[in-house]
Order: sequence, then C-alpha cells, then structure tokens
Amino acid sequence: MHVQMSGITKRFGETLANDSVTLGLGAGEVLALLGENGAGKSTLMKILYGFYAADSGGILIDGKPVVIDSPRAAMAAGIGMVFQHFNVIPALTVRENLLLAHPDAPALLPTRGAGQDDWLGTLKALAPDLDPGARVADISVGQMQLLELAKVLNLDAKVVILDEPTSVLTPLETQALYKLIRKIADEGRAVILITHKFEDVVTCADRVAVLRQGRLVADQSSEGMSADDLAAVMVGGGTIRHADRVAAPASAVARFEVRGVSAGDAFGSISEVSFQVAGGEIFGIAGVSGSGQDILADCLAGVRALSGGEVILDGVAVHRGGDGRPDIDNVGYIPERPLQNATAADLDLRVNLFLKKLSRFPFWLKWGSADAETARLLEDFDVRPRDPRRTAGALSGGNLQKLVSARELTGPRKVVIACYPTMGLDIGATQAIYRRLFAYAEQGAAVVWISEDLDDLMHFAHRIAVIFQGKILGTVTREQADRNTLGRWMMGAAA
Amino acid sequence: MKPFALNLPFLKTPTATALLPTGASALVFIGVSALFFALLGHEPFGLLWQVVLGAFGDKYSFTETLVKTAPILLCALAAAVPARLGLLTVGASGQFYLGAWLGTGIVLLLAETSGLVLLPLMLLGAALGGAAWSVIPGFLRARWEVNETLSTLLLNYVGALIVEWAVYGPWRDPGALGFPATRVLPDSIKLPTFLESRAHLGLLFGLVLAVGLHLLFTRSRWGLSLRIMKSNRKVAESAGMNYKLNVILIMAIGGAIAGLAGMCEVSAIHGRLQPGIALNFGLTGFLVAWMAGQHLIKIIPLSLIMGAILAASDALQLFYSLPAAIAVVLQALLFLSVLAVGGFLSKRKKA
Repeated sequence: MHVQMSGITKRFGETLANDSVTLGLGAGEVLALLGENGAGKSTLMKILYGFYAADSGGILIDGKPVVIDSPRAAMAAGIGMVFQHFNVIPALTVRENLLLAHPDAPALLPTRGAGQDDWLGTLKALAPDLDPGARVADISVGQMQLLELAKVLNLDAKVVILDEPTSVLTPLETQALYKLIRKIADEGRAVILITHKFEDVVTCADRVAVLRQGRLVADQSSEGMSADDLAAVMVGGGTIRHADRVAAPASAVARFEVRGVSAGDAFGSISEVSFQVAGGEIFGIAGVSGSGQDILADCLAGVRALSGGEVILDGVAVHRGGDGRPDIDNVGYIPERPLQNATAADLDLRVNLFLKKLSRFPFWLKWGSADAETARLLEDFDVRPRDPRRTAGALSGGNLQKLVSARELTGPRKVVIACYPTMGLDIGATQAIYRRLFAYAEQGAAVVWISEDLDDLMHFAHRIAVIFQGKILGTVTREQADRNTLGRWMMGAAA
Repeated sequence: MKPFALNLPFLKTPTATALLPTGASALVFIGVSALFFALLGHEPFGLLWQVVLGAFGDKYSFTETLVKTAPILLCALAAAVPARLGLLTVGASGQFYLGAWLGTGIVLLLAETSGLVLLPLMLLGAALGGAAWSVIPGFLRARWEVNETLSTLLLNYVGALIVEWAVYGPWRDPGALGFPATRVLPDSIKLPTFLESRAHLGLLFGLVLAVGLHLLFTRSRWGLSLRIMKSNRKVAESAGMNYKLNVILIMAIGGAIAGLAGMCEVSAIHGRLQPGIALNFGLTGFLVAWMAGQHLIKIIPLSLIMGAILAASDALQLFYSLPAAIAVVLQALLFLSVLAVGGFLSKRKKA
C-alpha cells in the first residue's frame, strides 16, 4: 500500500500549521517526521488520521484519492495512530482494554478458561511478559504504549503513526520499541514516527522528512546522516544556542538540605533520602523512571506530607511531617507530567502563569500589567500558540512544559527543583530551558535537577546522585562520574 | 456534507448561537408536554395555554408563581454554590429543615423581643442552622474524603426527623388539637410581602444572592481561586491555596442559603413550623441548578419556570381534576428537554 499526502494546507486562525506539504510513504518503510515543537508534525499526521480536515490538498492511497474525514474512515483505509496521550482505561485490565477496541470481539466475553486469551495474539507477540489480567493503572508507560500499538495492529493497520513514542520511555524500553518498529515494517506495514529526537531517526528510520514552520524542508534517505546533519536541517539557517556550564560554587556550605526524608503512598515511596546542595550548585539526580523521583520532588517542594525527616532551607526547617506547605515565593518547582501536576488544564494560559501570584491581585480582579507580562512570558519562553486566552489543556506537551517553566523559572528563587524539565522539548527549546535553569545556580540558588539524560547530567551537573527504589544509592562529583558506574547504580547495584 | 445538516446562515450569528439551546429546549418541552396531555385525553394546546394562564394569567396566579419560585431559587443556589468546587450536593431539603428549626427556635425563645431585632436574628439563626447542617458533610469531605453526595442525601432524612421530633415533642402546640405543629409565630416576625399578596422577601433574597454571588465568583480573586481548585486540586494546593478550608466554606454558604429558604417559608407562608414544609423544593432546586449548568444567573429564569409549573398545576388540579402528580411530570419533561437538547447540541458542536 502506498499513501500519498499531496499539497496539504491547514490554518488555525492566524497560524499556518501546514503549508502545501506533499509526502509519500510505501509499504515496509519507516519514515521519521522530524521538526521543532510546533513545526506542524502532529497536525499533518492528525489530518492523515482524519482528526482534522485539511483546508486544501488531498490524500491518495495506491494512486486513488480517498476521503478521510474521521478516525473511523482512516482506520477503514488501514491507517492507525498511537497518540502521545494514551486512550486507555486505567480501571480496566489489559485484556479488557484490548477487547474494547478489537473489531471482532465477541459481545459476551469469556471471563475465565482458555477462550479468553484467543484475542490476545498481537499483544502476546509484542509483549510476551505483559499479564493480560493486570489493571492498566498498574502497568508501566512503556507497556501501555505496547497495548495501544496492539490495539492499532488488531485493526489491521497498514500504516501505523506513532506520535513521539520514545519521549515517555526509558532507554531500555526505547531499544525494545526500535526493534519492534523494524519488525512491524518487515511485515510490510509502513510506520511514521513523529519525533524530535535524532537518535530515533538515526537508529530506526529509513527516511526522514523534516518540517519547519509548516513547510516540508527535507525528504531524504536517513542513511549516513549524523545528528549534526539533522540538527542543521531542522533548525534551518539558525543555530542552536547551547547552554554553558556553570562554574562550581565557591563555597560548599549547604543552602538546601534534605535530612532522612521518607514519604510514600500506594504507588511508591522514598525512604531516608539525605543530601545537601550548596548555593550555586547544580545537583543532578539520575535514575530509571518510577524510582521515586516524583515523590522526592514533591517532598522537596513541600507539596506532599513527609512521614519522616525534614527539609532545610538556609538553616530553617521548611518542611517536616504533616501537610506540605509550599514556599511559593522562594522555591521554583517543575513537577513531572505538567498537565496533571502543574496546570489547571481547563483554565487559560494567563491564569496558569499567575497561579502562584494570585495574592498580588486586588480582591476584585484587575489584570492590568499582568496582561503585558503574560505576553512577554509567552514570547520569552516561546510558548505556541501565543494566545493568553487559550486553555492550558489545548497546548501540546512541549509547549505545556515551556508554560510551566515560564511560571517557575522567573523571578528570584532560593531553590529550584526541576523534574524532567525538558520532557517533550526539541533541542533548541531544551537548551533554552537549561540556560534559564542553570542561570539560577549562577545567581546563587540551589538547583536540584532530576533527569534521565545521563549525557546532559554528566555535562552540566556539579554532582550526580542516583535514585533506585526510593533510595539514594550513591553520589559522585562530575569529575568522578562515569557512565558505567552510574548505569549500574541505576539498575540497583550497591555503591 | 452530511445529508441532513441544517445550513441556515441566520443560525450561525452569535445571538442565534446563544439563543439556540433555549429556543430548541422550549420547543421540545412544548412538544412533549402537548403529547403528554394528548395521551391523557385532553386537547393538548388548549391545556398548555391553561398552564400559562394558571401561572401568569392574572395577578393572583402570577404572585402565586413568585411564591413558589422563591424557595426553588434559594435551593437551586444552595446546590449550585458548592458546584463551584465540583461538589455535588443534594442536601438542600435537610438544610432547609434545619434552618426552619433553628430560626423557629429563636423566635419561640425570644417571642417578646421587638420584631426589628427578632426578624434579623431569626434569619441569621436560619442561615446558621442550614450552614451547620452543610458543614458536617463539608468537614467529612475535607478531612476524610467522604462522598458529599451521599452524606448530604442521608442528612436530609435526619433534618426532616429533627423537625418532626420538635413538633411532635417539646414545641408542640397543645392548642392545635393533635395537629403536629408549633404554635403560630407572632406577626412581628412575618417577612414583608409585596404586591398585596403572599409573594415575600425570600424572592428578593434569592435574586440578590444570585447576582451577588455570580459577581463574586466571576470577578473576584476568590472566585478565580475556586475555579483553580476545582480544575486541579493538587496544583491549587501547591500554589498555596487551602482546598480543605474552602470546601467547608463553600458548603457553609450553600447550606446557609437553603436554611434561609426554610425560615422564609415558615415565616411568610405557614406561620409556624410543621412537618413536610420542604415539599420537593430541595430536589427541584437541584434539578434547576443542573439545567442551568450551575450558572447562577441562568438559575433565575429556570426557577421562575419551575415555580410557574408548580403554581399552574394547583390550578389544573382544581379546574380540570388532573392529578397532583402533573407538576412532577411537567418538571421532569422540562428537565429532560433541557438536558437532552443541551447534550445534543454540544455533541454536534464537537463533531
């Protein structure tokens, strides 16, 4: 099957999201669709999937024009898509989720016995270790993605679109996914990978198409292309401003101190975490996802009750037991999963930017200078679209991340806690966030930076600690750090 | 192009878009209630016209409509205010009883005091009674995440029983010949009425509260913080907002309004505390709040329509010997029409 999108143009108000894009794809091919945040990658694919209607242009399958005006029509035409935000029902089991979307599922499901696994073929092939009886709420993000992929393959999709599939995966899961994508392609299906990671392109794709500001600027074989080549195509004439390293702090006196902190709930826990961060120091925390990073970050920021220990800022215990009482003036906090943890999704960008500064407004709200400030923040942090009245939930993952940074990485701070602050950001935006984050260290704040990117941690952090199953396994200075030791700690080998 | 898509340009203007749900709901409601009357064997549109006359036909009908509107309006506010924090409360009738009970208690205790002092004191007591009855589920919700819908529902029964205990027991008027009620309250505490009718100040309370709270919720910093807390509690708390305190506060405000409704009925309509005075006002108010999408201003006309149906059904009962249940059926038809049309239109908008 050959799919051809020809002359696709799509506008959202003033923004030209796709500008007469023509792109084709044949059976057995893996195409990486590369571009910066907001370049129009997702829009183009949502048009192919029937989610949006193009303003002009059309889609041809095997040379014949087809009308794809809904996801249902797309599926009928053999096009399936796995979204960044999964469409799974957490309260149901893996099997139930799969059967809900299965075209031939029986009306009455066998609840026990051999018959109940007759429908699991695809999933078994993709994820032999996944227990079909597990509740989706309890499985990992990588497994959820495999479940979504199995749902799409069950529909006999000839073209599979994956929207930034590796942005939520651990390095190991990413490797497994690459293998799987190759396997799917070898079966004669076509795969489109929406991505902004060069690694995805280099390791996995046959061809790379690059979008820049809605226009297709490259469509070529990816063979022999290096990350630098790709970066050059993606950002066009512009150059990426890399963040600079921050000099080590002059004094090692602790500004921010964590003493024996424990906390937890049904979903995970941390125990006896202790470390000190000097003013001006960047303290990196590495670890595979799900090691308790989110709980630790919440405890440091004071938004979660501690079951033991204390958090000390400038010699004063700011959090100890009981309910958290966040210090919103002195502590900047970027939590993981900003949609759930850092924004009011159904309220507009302006409200979300001033969420923590409401007390500075008069009782009868007057926005006044806050409107100009909103416009400036959206501009400075390159949040797209720059519409202060748009709801936060309507932003793409990367832009949401920038929005939260715009709130948390402005104004004076004594401590900044950043949990995966560059998740979903392209290379230019990542460096821009790093510059702002590390600038706080330069100004003397204590910076705690939780990341999964060992290369970046080893380049920018002054010291790196590794968290495993809620405990700090070891801490090294940048000079002493080597990938192998850190990697072993991340897998639980004792220091 | 869908085969049956309406494509009339005048339907796309902003005014039309705003009025479309209302107009369509009204048409559907008229259609189904006409069908209902026809099924009963009456001439449908003639009877519908009688409903309109029964509610608005003359000064008496109109003021009776206003009499019914007042408690519905207040009870609808009592349900819509906690909804600002996403709380789903059905406890207006229990709060109504507690307000009536405490207000009456104050009057019985201080019967000799001048009305100028006693009347405000009575209303304050009623508001406190309703608030207290609503703060219980509010506290349970804030402290232990107890589902507020269930706890408010159950407290309705307790509230009604407290009033029964009072009027069968210590407050029973021995002169009432076995009729369970307190003695008739002094004229000094009767709420002012207007238009030389039974329409009373309770209606004005409802209007002022609806407009005042609407402004507070939409224009004030506190209103915005409520919206943030409703949208994402965790984020609101990490921005330093006190969710638990606000749950209790907003429940107290809702309860106070329902309590006020209870005392207004006792003072202006019944003249004494007796069982059964809450009728269906609590649930009717809840339905009105939902039909209005918890919008405090839209609650006003919808309460008036519900009041009109209640008033008109009294007339229909009298002159056409239709059963009393006619009011409930018409209310249900209205509720279904509004919700079905709203759901249908919003689904089309998304498509």
